[in-house]
Order: sequence, then structure tokens, then C-alpha cells
Amino acid sequence: MTEISVRNLWMEYGDQIVLERIDFDVAPHSFVSLVGPSGCGKSTFLRLLLSQEQATRGQILIDGEELPPNPEPDRGVVFQKYSVFPHLTALENVMLGLELDRGGFTGRLYGRAKRRAREEAMEYLGGVGLAAAASKYPSALSGGMQQRLAIAQALIKKPRILLLDEPFGALDPGIRSEVHDLMLRLWWENQMTVFMVTHDLREAFYLGTRVIAFDRVRKREEELERYGATIAFDTPSDPAPFVTELAAKDAAA
Amino acid sequence: MALSRSGRLINKHPGSAAGRLLAVLPFALLLLAYAVGSDIRLSENPNDKLLPSFSSLADAVERMAFEPDKRTGDYLLWVDTVASLSRLGGGVLLATLLGAGIGITVGLIPYARWTMSAFIAVFAMIPPLAVLPILFITFGLGETSKVALIVFGIAPFMMRDLALRVSELPSEQIVKAQTLGASTWHIAWRIVLPQMMPRIIDALRLSLGSAWLFLIAAEAIAAQSGLGYRIFLLRRYLAMDVILPYVFWITLLAVVFDFILRRYQVWAYPWFVSERAQS
Amino acid sequence: MKLFSKTLVALATSMSLMVAGASSVNAEEKKEFKLAWSIYVGWMPWGWAADQGIVDKWADKYDIEIEVVQFNDYIESINQYTAGAFDGVTATNMDTLAIPSVGGVDTTALIVGDFSNGNDALILKGADSLDAVLGQNVNLVELSVSHYLLARALETLGKAEKDVAVVNTSDADMIAAYQTDDVTAVVTWNPLVAEILEIPGANKVFDSSDIPGEIMDLTVVNTETLADNPAFGKALAGAWYETMSIMLSDTPEGAAARAAMGEASGTDLAGYDMQLASTQMFATASDAVTFTTSESVTSTMESVRTFLFERGLLGDGASSPDIVGIAFPDGSVLGDEGNVKFRFNADYMSMAADGSL
Repeated sequence: MTEISVRNLWMEYGDQIVLERIDFDVAPHSFVSLVGPSGCGKSTFLRLLLSQEQATRGQILIDGEELPPNPEPDRGVVFQKYSVFPHLTALENVMLGLELDRGGFTGRLYGRAKRRAREEAMEYLGGVGLAAAASKYPSALSGGMQQRLAIAQALIKKPRILLLDEPFGALDPGIRSEVHDLMLRLWWENQMTVFMVTHDLREAFYLGTRVIAFDRVRKREEELERYGATIAFDTPSDPAPFVTELAAKDAAA
Repeated sequence: MALSRSGRLINKHPGSAAGRLLAVLPFALLLLAYAVGSDIRLSENPNDKLLPSFSSLADAVERMAFEPDKRTGDYLLWVDTVASLSRLGGGVLLATLLGAGIGITVGLIPYARWTMSAFIAVFAMIPPLAVLPILFITFGLGETSKVALIVFGIAPFMMRDLALRVSELPSEQIVKAQTLGASTWHIAWRIVLPQMMPRIIDALRLSLGSAWLFLIAAEAIAAQSGLGYRIFLLRRYLAMDVILPYVFWITLLAVVFDFILRRYQVWAYPWFVSERAQS
Repeated sequence: MKLFSKTLVALATSMSLMVAGASSVNAEEKKEFKLAWSIYVGWMPWGWAADQGIVDKWADKYDIEIEVVQFNDYIESINQYTAGAFDGVTATNMDTLAIPSVGGVDTTALIVGDFSNGNDALILKGADSLDAVLGQNVNLVELSVSHYLLARALETLGKAEKDVAVVNTSDADMIAAYQTDDVTAVVTWNPLVAEILEIPGANKVFDSSDIPGEIMDLTVVNTETLADNPAFGKALAGAWYETMSIMLSDTPEGAAARAAMGEASGTDLAGYDMQLASTQMFATASDAVTFTTSESVTSTMESVRTFLFERGLLGDGASSPDIVGIAFPDGSVLGDEGNVKFRFNADYMSMAADGSL
């Protein structure tokens, strides 16, 4: 179970303050939606969570420990685009996490180890409904399939935290609701904490168990540089009906 | 041939048969112009060397390719071809390895980028032919300096091109790879290098023309065999009957290499071709 | 399709006319002539004579125009002449035979300006006898007079070219090449010889003064053009010997002329005088006539044509060196009398000697 604490976080680029006084705790197995207008620093916050950048001041603690300085497999990520590798087939994309882990210097597996990794990866591919597309390259997959592939690729590392940066923003509405339910099921089954940046409030409230909005408090032109965005509101959200069903099913079992 | 009333030139396309005919046309015209020009000159001076007749070109090919040379007993065209291609191959291979190795390092590692990219950019501007004496004294007058000239000629371009291609990879990929447990080395080896392979082929195709140029320049300066050596040697005697078939042969080799590289790229990196088609 | 085939014919015709146009140095009387020359000690007078208006003065006298064009590339100037773009060119006796004459362009040696008397040399690194060259790589411009000099040097040892390994090396890079470790023997010409001999350990073991008169620097013209336009030959001979009388005189004007020629060839008065010292310039037309009409020219051309024949440079169909005829001032012919393409002609030099120009 993973608990996250954000302690008085500030992010500045030179003189420009982007985020200030970000301070909150997240309970284990939360689904946190981050919303806010463009430029409010929600993607910056995600990069800090990833260790892609370092905060100017303040701390992020995971189970009481400070974040490592580099992106690590404990935090998986799915971006809006470019999350999967174009030179690998769907199966190879999912296997990559296992190969890098077990393949040593070459980052490749051979023989029996490779077969085992392939079987494991096929399970994850099946879990996102892509078993039939295992040998296809991403360029032959639709946008929705690519995002499902990216999720499977991240999940095979069993991350404690999954970070989603507008992951469904480029999808058609029909496809999007399908992927929403898939996402909720995976979140429920894997018992991880999800942070999702989105600009779609409906999506934020539908998926999230908690919705945090970043915004600038001071909006006058001359104040923009010296004051960053901070938490504008922070509210719990009811789990989606689909999650309630999942919970009921679990309880029955 | 008159344009139809409604057709604007920019919107008119030839059919497939006509298209093929149009493609052949400039070649046919060139050949015809050569034949006529050669005929006129030869009727004025039967020994004219500038535009030899097709039959004397054929004789020269026969002599260079299929008869042993009177003095050395070698089949000169093949000896020259082997000599040139091994120099070209060595130079291009070395330049590619350097270009890929340094290009990827510079494109991927910020410290390498700060150290090397300005240097490479400046180095790439040095005309290699102008510093030939330094190459000679460093690498001697033998095969090494010829290969070195090709490497100096094309490696800086390949380094810069590949560094640029690496930096064009979305940063999301690099972050994602790290979240999958990749080290810096893993990223270079499993993420960047495989994606650079088809781009290396692109860079190679663009560089091959210059590589030939540098090869021929190197062979013109000091050599005992080679396609460029023969051309420059025979130029002393205006032996166009041999030079023209050699030029044709070099052109043919270059076209064939380009074709093979293009085909190989499509065959070995299907993902790249469809990526490119989408973007 | 009719339009198409018409266009094709028109295009082909215009292209072939363009090509043929270049060769239209046809035999007919004309007023404008072009002479090509390249930078070499024995040919520098042409550049200077053109600058000083001496060429124009003589051309005016015969009511013609002569354009004097400098080439940076010697071989290209001969090729251009052979292809028909020029009426005359400066060349050695060997290159004249091998390029225009073998190429079917009947060519006359109008002026024998000088012969190399030490300007071409075989230099060894760290050895001072000629026989040390055996078994070595020898860097030189293949098929040039350097190559000929090497062949003659080996003959004096009773050896042949197979006893060394020739490496074709561009003259522009000869000095740099000499400084690399794998180069131990070179044959080249001045001013490169002088440069290389300044490097410690360089020894001259054979030079053109060992074969005097065999490497001649000529001004050659198209025979047909000359036959139809004697004025062209007269103007050139007149201009040449007037220039000789100035530049070779021991006067301030002579020194100034030589200094200008030295500068134009990238050196100075001292450097140019040094090159002249190893060049046997014919100061007067009568000296040149004496040389040209001597027996030695015939024996030189015999040895030159044998050298060329052995290397396949008299044409690949050539069954003997006789294929191209070479005519001498006394009317004798070496080789095929029906195919004379190279003529030594002393008439115009004699006119200059007589003062009848």
C-alpha cells in the first residue's frame, strides 16, 4: 500500500514561479485526477512525481521516503503520445520491461527465459484486449489500441504509482469510455495509486476518487511571473458505478 | 499533345505507360545526341578521341574487362573495381560506425553534446581536400590515407545528422524507457540504436555520392589501381573510350548501391517506412 | 507524337551542332586564333608577351588576332587543343605525340623553345646512387615525362620498369608525399625538384641533363590551320623571339621580365633564374633551328615513341610504333608516311633567324 505526501512544494524556472505551496497527502489506492487550465502546472507536477525534474523547494515522499533522482520502475507512466516504441511490436513493447530487468547488459532475453517473458507479456496484452495484435507494430494500431498497449507496457513492471498525462485526450468518445472502464478495472485489480492529468472535468470526476484542481490565485498581468499556481480546490469524488460493481463482485467472491 | 481546355498543367498526370516513356526519354535523348555528335566528329577526324563511337567504346570495355592487360596480365576493370570498392567500403563502414557511435552519444548525453557538438559543427566545415597534406603525413600515402579521406569527408555529416535524429526522438520515449527500468546504456542499445538504424541508412544514402567523390579524389592523388586512378591516368591521353565506360560503371554501381540500401531499409525496418508515411 | 519526334530531332541536331562547333577549327583562312599555355618555366614567356602587348603587336602586323589563354592544368590545355577548342598549345614533344597526334590531330611543332637540362630529376631518400632505386616504390605522375625519365634512367642500368613499382602521384601533392615515410623515391620536375632537394637526405641520382635534348618544351599548332594561315605561325614566331631577346638579355629590362615571369609562376627572380639554369632555352632562333634540324631529334623521337608504344599509348590497335608518322625538317619520316600527324617544322624559326618576319 502506497501513501504519498507532498510537502510545501515550489517549482521555479529562473524568475518564473510555476507552482507554489503545493501540500497534500494521498491515501493508498487512490485515483487522483489533476485538473486545471492550461499552463497551471499540472503537467509540471506530474514531471516532478516522475523525477523527470527536481522541485525547487519542498518534498515528495512515498511511504515516507524521498523520491529517487531518476525515473524508476516504481512509477509507471502513460503519455498522451509517444508512450510506445515504434520499432518494437506490441508484444515486444510489453516484454521490454521484463527484458531490461532480466536481460543484464544486453537487455535481451534468449531461450527459455525469453519464452517465459513472452507468456507473461501475452497475459498483459490479453488483459488490455490486444492479444490478436501481438505481432503488429504500433503504426498499425489505432490510437485507442496504442494507449491500451502503453498501459499494458507500464503495468508489467507492477508500479506502485501510475502516472497518466492526458492519456485519453486524443481518443474518439466511444473508444474513450471503453478505455475508461478498462483503466478502472486495472486500477482496481492492481491496487496501485493513479495520478491522472486531464483537462476534461467529466472524465476527472468519473474516474477519480479525488479531484485536485491547480490554478493561479493572482491573475493580474504583472503578478503572473511572481506567483505560481497552487491548489484551488481538492474534493473527494464518488467511485464510478463500474468500480462499485467490481467491489461488489470482489466482496461476493 | 495539345492541352485539353479544362486541364491545368499542375493537375495533369501521365498514365503509367506514358510515365515510363517520359522517364526513359531524357536517357534516349542523351544517347541520341551523343551518337550524332560522335558521328559528326568522327567523320571529320576518324581518330577523334573526345566522343568515340559505340563500337570503340565496346572494344574498350572488351579490352578492359575481358582481356588480360598486355603488361601486367590483370583484368584491369575488375582489379580497379575491387581496389576502389574495398577503399569505399572501408571508408564508409568506418564513417558509419563513427557517425553512429558519436552521433548517438552526442544526441543522447547532454555532457557529450556540450563537449562535442560545436566542435563537430566546425570540424564538418573543414574541406578535407584542402588539408590533404596533413592526412598524408599522418596516415602515409597508402590505403590508410584514402580510407581516411573518405572518413573525414563523410563522418562529420553522419555524426551531425544522427545527433539531430536522436534529439528528435520524443523525450517521452526516454522517460518511458527509464520507468521500464532502462539504464543509460540500455536506452542507447535497445531504444535509440534500433530506431537509428533506418536513419543511418538514410544518412548513408545521402553520403554515398560524396564518398565516391572523395574516393576518386584520393585515387587521383596517389595510387596504383582503382577506378579513379584509371580515369585520371587515362585523362592524360584523352582516352575517352575507356573513361566513358568507367564513368558509366561508377554511375551504375552507385545507383545499384542506392537501390539496395533503399530496398534493405524497406525490408528490414517496415515500422520505419509506415511511421514515415504517417508523419 | 509528331510534335514530340520533331522536338527530338531538333534537340539532337542542336546538341550535335554544339559538339561539332567546338571542333570547327576547320582548314580555312581566318583572322582569329587561340593559343593555350600553362605555367611552366619554358612557357612563362607567353604570359608575359601577352601582358606586354608583344603578341598583339605581331598579330596586328599580320592583320590577325591572337588570344592567349592561360590554363592552370597542363593536361587540360592539351586536351582542349586536341578536341579542337584551340589552334595552338604549349606541350612537350612526348605529350604532343601521345595526345593530339595519336588523336588524329595533325600537329606541327612551330617553336622548339627549350629542352630540359636538369629540370626533371629522380630523387632518392637516403641513398645516393641510381641503382638503389631498384626494387623501390617510385612516386611520379604516371605516363608523364617523369615516367619517361625513369624509363631512360633504368635503361642506363640495363633494367626495365618491372624492376621498380610505379605509384601514380599527383604533382600537386608530390612534396607532401615525399615527406611521408613510405615514399622513398620520386621523379618530378621543377620547382618541385628544388623544394624536395632542400629536405635533408634527398639525393638527386638522375636528371634530364643525363639525357640532354630528349624532353623538349614546344609551342605546337594545328598543321592545317598553319598551312592555310601562315600569318598565325609568323606572328607567333615573331613574338616569341622578340620576347626571348628581351628576357634573356643581361639588362634591367631582362631582369624585370624574368622577375615578372617568376612572380607569375609563384616564385621570384632568383627562383626563376634557378629554374632557367636547368633549362636549355634557345635564346636565338638560329640556335633553335640548329637543334631542330639535328639528327638527335630523330633519335629522341624514336625512343619517345617506343616508350609510348610499350605502354599502349599509340592506340590499342597499334601493332608497331610506326603507326603514327613523325616528319622532320629534312623531309624524312619516322613511321607511317601515309599517316604523318606530328611534324617538326623549322621554317618559321628560320624566318625569325633570317629577320624576314
